[in-house]
Amino acid sequence: MTPLERRYALLGLALIAPTVLILTAVIVYPLLSAIYLSFFSIYTPTLAGKAVGLENYRTILSSAYFWHALWTTFVWTAGTLVLQIGFGVGMALLLNQNILFRSLARSLVLFPYFISTVVAVLVWRWLFNDLYGILNHLLIAAGVIDMPVDWLGSMPNAMVSVITVGAWKFFPFVVIAVLARLQTIPEHLYEAARIDGAGTFSRFTDVTLPQLRDVLSIVILLRIIWDFKEFDLIYLLTGGGPMDNTRTLPLIVYQQAFGLNQMGMAAAYAVAMMVVMLVFMLAYLAYSRDRSTP
Amino acid sequence: MVNVIFNKVQKAFGSVVAIPDLNLEIGSGEFVSLLGPSGCGKTTTLRMLAGLEQPTGGEIRIGERAVNNVAPGERDIAMVFQSYALYPHMTVGQNIAYPLKKRGVPKSEHPARIKAVADLLQLGPLLERRPKQLSGGQQQRVALGRALVRDPKVFLLDEPLSNLDAKLRAHMRTELIELHRRLGKTMVYVTHDQLEAMTMSTRIAVMHQGHLQQFATPSEIYNRPANTFVASFIGTPSMTLVEAEIEMAEGAAFLLVGGQRFPLPPSLVMADSRHRRPITLGVRPEDISIASGEAARASVKLVEPTGHESIVTLDLGGAHFVMRAAGDVALRLGEAVPIALRIDRLHFFDRESGQRINTDAERPAEFRSIAR
Repeated sequence: MTPLERRYALLGLALIAPTVLILTAVIVYPLLSAIYLSFFSIYTPTLAGKAVGLENYRTILSSAYFWHALWTTFVWTAGTLVLQIGFGVGMALLLNQNILFRSLARSLVLFPYFISTVVAVLVWRWLFNDLYGILNHLLIAAGVIDMPVDWLGSMPNAMVSVITVGAWKFFPFVVIAVLARLQTIPEHLYEAARIDGAGTFSRFTDVTLPQLRDVLSIVILLRIIWDFKEFDLIYLLTGGGPMDNTRTLPLIVYQQAFGLNQMGMAAAYAVAMMVVMLVFMLAYLAYSRDRSTP
Repeated sequence: MVNVIFNKVQKAFGSVVAIPDLNLEIGSGEFVSLLGPSGCGKTTTLRMLAGLEQPTGGEIRIGERAVNNVAPGERDIAMVFQSYALYPHMTVGQNIAYPLKKRGVPKSEHPARIKAVADLLQLGPLLERRPKQLSGGQQQRVALGRALVRDPKVFLLDEPLSNLDAKLRAHMRTELIELHRRLGKTMVYVTHDQLEAMTMSTRIAVMHQGHLQQFATPSEIYNRPANTFVASFIGTPSMTLVEAEIEMAEGAAFLLVGGQRFPLPPSLVMADSRHRRPITLGVRPEDISIASGEAARASVKLVEPTGHESIVTLDLGGAHFVMRAAGDVALRLGEAVPIALRIDRLHFFDRESGQRINTDAERPAEFRSIAR
């Protein structure tokens, strides 16, 4: 290495050092710390406890509670994802057309995504309320139901409600990403397809969808990761009930850590959750790496 | 083979009128270029023929059929786009097969037809590749292949060579001429490149600001431009256009330009025998030369050698002429040289309207410009 190269190398190290330090402090340290904690039985308020080795994991893996929560997390993630993608793509296609008030509509669509989760959930709980909620009122008025429905306190209603609110809250993300991609599809491709004899539906399946494939793969992976660890929306809407039926893994972590004061157990749940998410994260990394090296 | 007719076609985009009134009849099996500068309406004309734009008035016919209300896919046309518009996620083979698939051509026929096109355009080794993996020239050929495979009645080509480098463009020009000769199909070709139009077309439609200026064979366009626009647009270097006058005296005619008086042969004497008529004189660079004997003298303003020839700018009493001279011509700047004009190849245009007024216009009436 020549002196000049060494100087450049040192400069490079100096430039990335702050980022590395910050990432170490806020990601690597907490991660290692969580793994370390998961080998202890710790009482949260005092943070005092003793090492138990793999006992926490043994308990988790042999409890029906964990497997039920994992299943619940999958149901929530899959359900809300399907709705987000379906509704998001549909809305993006609509907003890509020359419709009246397009700019206004584009701004309004983003509203659920930007509104605070607490506020959104409060409004939805109000709508869902079985005594004075407008949803029941309208459905009864329309003759669809004759008794008020308990939207959040019974199954499967609670899960359906949570999934619906989740879709409402997060579909704008899909809209933004898909719409951005739609606007870059060259108009000539559609014109060529028209001349080649493709109808509206064919143009969608043969031109639009293939062009959306990349962005949809990324959006789906990101949304899986984000929905999987969603906490506030579910916690505020149902608190995990009825009877733990909407208690996803993040809610259990919270419950163990601050409800039952079992910080070690909470850490073990969190690590277990991370292992599941790791699959999706690796898929995301592999996918984005494939795309950057064609 | 079918002809294509534009009958009183109009096109406006909102309040902007792109094509006020277009009448054009493209013969069966012709290779017609729509030529003009950007914004002249040539692409709009082609897109109306393709069905990608709806005319706001008039009628477009392909063969016997009025196609104003026929969808692009049902007009039995194929189009090659400037950007090629290949489907990026499909292989070359799938791109070429696509129009067959959409038209319900039986799957069993696909391989043979794709192979025929691939052989014609030498695409055989590329069929499994994707457009991204091809060079510009190869993409161009795939786009042509996708147009050819269906055996359409009319081919539309929208500046298909403009994204290629100069060498490849020359090569593809030859290939397109050869292709037209072999297929004998009606082709409509949009270009702003006069060289492409001149070399490939059976006839050229020169357009300017939405108006058809002249619709004639390349040689007619070059030798008898209908107006000053066509005159200056066609030819490199372009035709010199200077103000001049025609004088009638004692039964003879003279051209007055740059303070000089050139006698005109009786055949060029106009029926309209005003005593003096102001005109715009057009002289192609090859129709002015250095005279051998006594003649009017012009001073040399500029010499631009290009190798095989030199482009010389001459000043004749304030009027600037461009002259094509031999590559090794020895001229000094400021030198006064005797010049000769090829009188029989001069172009006279009305100074007001810019329309050609030579009496040599023995062209059939239908080839005359319909401008303005």
